[in-house]
Amino acid sequence: MRRSTSVALGLVMGLAVAAQPGQAAPFECPHVGGDFVFGQEANINTLDQMTSATISTRNIAMNIYETLMTRDENNNPILELADSMTESPDHLSYTFKLRQGIQFHNGKPMTSADVVASFDRYSKVGNQRSILNNVARWDAPDPATFIIVMKTAQPTFIEALSSFSVPIVIIPAENRDVPAQQLTHPIGTGPFQLVESVPGSFVKLKRFDGYKPNTQFDNRTGFGGYKKACLDTVTFRIVTEGGARVAGLKTGELHGVEDLPTKSLSELKADPKITILPLRNWWIQTANPNTSAAPTDNLLFRKAVQAALDMDEIMEAASDGNYALNVGFQYPNQPSYTDAGKETYNLKNSELAKQYLVQAGYKGEPLILLTNKDYPPMYNSALVMQQQLQAVGINAQMKVVDWPTSVQMAQKSDPGWNFHFTGWGTQPALGALATMQFLADPNATYRPKDDKGDPELMAAWNDMNTLPAAADRQAAFARMQKIILERVYALPFGSFTKVQGVRSNVSGFVPFRIPRMSNVSMTK
Amino acid sequence: MGRIVIRRLASALPIMAIVSVITFAMIHLIPGDPAVAIAGLSATAEQLETIRRDLGLDQPVLTQLWRWYANVLRGDLGRSLLLGQPVVQVMTQRLQVTLALSAYALVLTLLLGLTAGIVAALRQNTWIDQAAMVFAMIGISLPNFWLGLLMIILFAVDLRWLPTGGYIPLTADPLGWLATSTMPAVSLALLQAGLLARITRSTMLEVLRQDYIRTARAKGLPNRVVVMKHALANALIPIVTVLGIIVSLLISGSVVTETLFSIPGVGQLLTQAVLNRDYPMVQGGLLMTTALLVLVNIAVEVCYALLDPRVRTDGS
Repeated sequence: MRRSTSVALGLVMGLAVAAQPGQAAPFECPHVGGDFVFGQEANINTLDQMTSATISTRNIAMNIYETLMTRDENNNPILELADSMTESPDHLSYTFKLRQGIQFHNGKPMTSADVVASFDRYSKVGNQRSILNNVARWDAPDPATFIIVMKTAQPTFIEALSSFSVPIVIIPAENRDVPAQQLTHPIGTGPFQLVESVPGSFVKLKRFDGYKPNTQFDNRTGFGGYKKACLDTVTFRIVTEGGARVAGLKTGELHGVEDLPTKSLSELKADPKITILPLRNWWIQTANPNTSAAPTDNLLFRKAVQAALDMDEIMEAASDGNYALNVGFQYPNQPSYTDAGKETYNLKNSELAKQYLVQAGYKGEPLILLTNKDYPPMYNSALVMQQQLQAVGINAQMKVVDWPTSVQMAQKSDPGWNFHFTGWGTQPALGALATMQFLADPNATYRPKDDKGDPELMAAWNDMNTLPAAADRQAAFARMQKIILERVYALPFGSFTKVQGVRSNVSGFVPFRIPRMSNVSMTK
Repeated sequence: MGRIVIRRLASALPIMAIVSVITFAMIHLIPGDPAVAIAGLSATAEQLETIRRDLGLDQPVLTQLWRWYANVLRGDLGRSLLLGQPVVQVMTQRLQVTLALSAYALVLTLLLGLTAGIVAALRQNTWIDQAAMVFAMIGISLPNFWLGLLMIILFAVDLRWLPTGGYIPLTADPLGWLATSTMPAVSLALLQAGLLARITRSTMLEVLRQDYIRTARAKGLPNRVVVMKHALANALIPIVTVLGIIVSLLISGSVVTETLFSIPGVGQLLTQAVLNRDYPMVQGGLLMTTALLVLVNIAVEVCYALLDPRVRTDGS
């Protein structure tokens, strides 16, 4: 997929794609034109990408904006608006040479002054501005150069910088001081530009004719690569009801949709005008214990819970059959995947569970499963887990509230809940570091007493962040995952598959973390 | 008449004040906060704290209440925490959609409900009466969500007459608006039409038994005049009362329909605001909706005065 070797990321981090020889012809649109209408399941709150971590915003905004660095198809960091990146020998500065000839949607050329302004704004309003905590300053010595100077060496900085959770998108310098969430008319450098946004209804984009593809690649990869807008316009229509999305896809009013209901899949698969596209590894379904409250403050009790669970049954109910069993917090297709701690997973051993209960001195105290109905997979997995735990003699009770309430309750270690049901989507896709952040101090999801995490776990976390060699950081991750699973600081059930679908006259639509509209074309 | 309107408008002020206090108290009493919605599903605790700090949600509730009232008195209902836009601007955009849809549904309600009720009363105890009341019962009983889905399958998927959803503003394309609004309006109207038909029938039956109707018939007036001028005019007061309630229900009760047909109206907006704890949107939105409903009730009372001279006399 890569065409040239101007970036030394592989040497610097051991994370980037290796340079490949050969000069494949760059992507050409099979057809040009058409208005692609995509049925999106969730409302968007804002298109101000710096201030939103929601998937619904990213779905649209990442077709408008671009970043210095992003992730490829396998979530490895790659350059996007930068032509090259050089890390200083002391690991304290990163020098980016910007690609030339890049224009914003308003016709203005992009220079390092815009990159400085973008970093300035992100440092003030960015939802994940903590990634710049260890940055001493950033400079623009000339219009084509941007330098980041670190306070201390941080081996994981490029991984954080290229994160697409809340990316540092590059905006024109004149938008530097726009307050948070008020960048209502986004101007970026991406292949599509905003035409109209009607909250709650639709967002319409059109091809940006001044877009310059990244010729270091020959095709789209992940959020970056060689991107071309083949479609005249793309309309993201907000269709929150699953049945309405199915109806829209069947009639051809919608050319692509996300999150097709499982019960409609057999009917849709039989329709030759529709192509079903499963997006595997969409999120990790998990339940997180409250280790400050009884009875889950007792490791033996938590082990009893772990031993009693049948993950197939839980995931079947949670996903209507669209799942894969998965050990831990990364997916097998990721370079950072490890099955460390696999001996604790999917035991479905009721006898062992009962032994642990006896050892734990369990006397039938209630075990509160905190879940919500806003996300049916979370509710369904809690329901099945309750049945499995009752079968081994645990007094499991459900506490069903709405999603914001459950999140707020789960952030406190007060008694009142023992397992909180949630799903981790973006972070596992970003990598081990982003995911393990959930389990590190402060505010670890397993709610350790006085917010002081397990010392061994924290030691592994520190190694993940600070060891200079990528292999050593990976070993630290494996150690951390093993500790989490063995001490039951989280119960990852498995990975979820999200099903998307397109009309058969659409080509180039490949499911990813967002619906990418570049390199997608359609015939009439 | 003017006095009635002024008196009612004056009495609306304490209502608005009470509603705003109750709304503020209730939305802040519910656990959970908007940071969760803004941050998304996989947000870390640190991201949530950053958002809370940015939005001032870490301030004491009384400080937030004081700040909100101070702004309201200046005519500023604040900015939606989720949308980042002024509440008044968002509500104005969404109200246009909801009012247009409600007006369409109201026209259908009046056509279907009044016609069915009047015909059923005039043909009491015939098959026409029974058919009209069966229609009314179906309208009342069918969940509009289910009815909407059935209509999508029939008219959009099978027959391809209408789009499955979406919304085109009336001002942008009247025919497009008609196409996108017809199924939602019908699904909204059927419930209300059933209610109106039953009320109209019973009220008309009562009026038709009155002495003055017998007198009108005895005078030899044509049946059309008896029904339209004497019977319907006198039956209108309870019907207008019900219409006031129906208009309120159409404005406030379109959440499910708006969700199903992807219509960006007030119902969907406020439901999302409550679910996501968008405090300024809930507080400001409900205040504006309350003001609208108060105006509807004042309009109903003006209609009373126009229809019944006794009300005019009492009012003055």
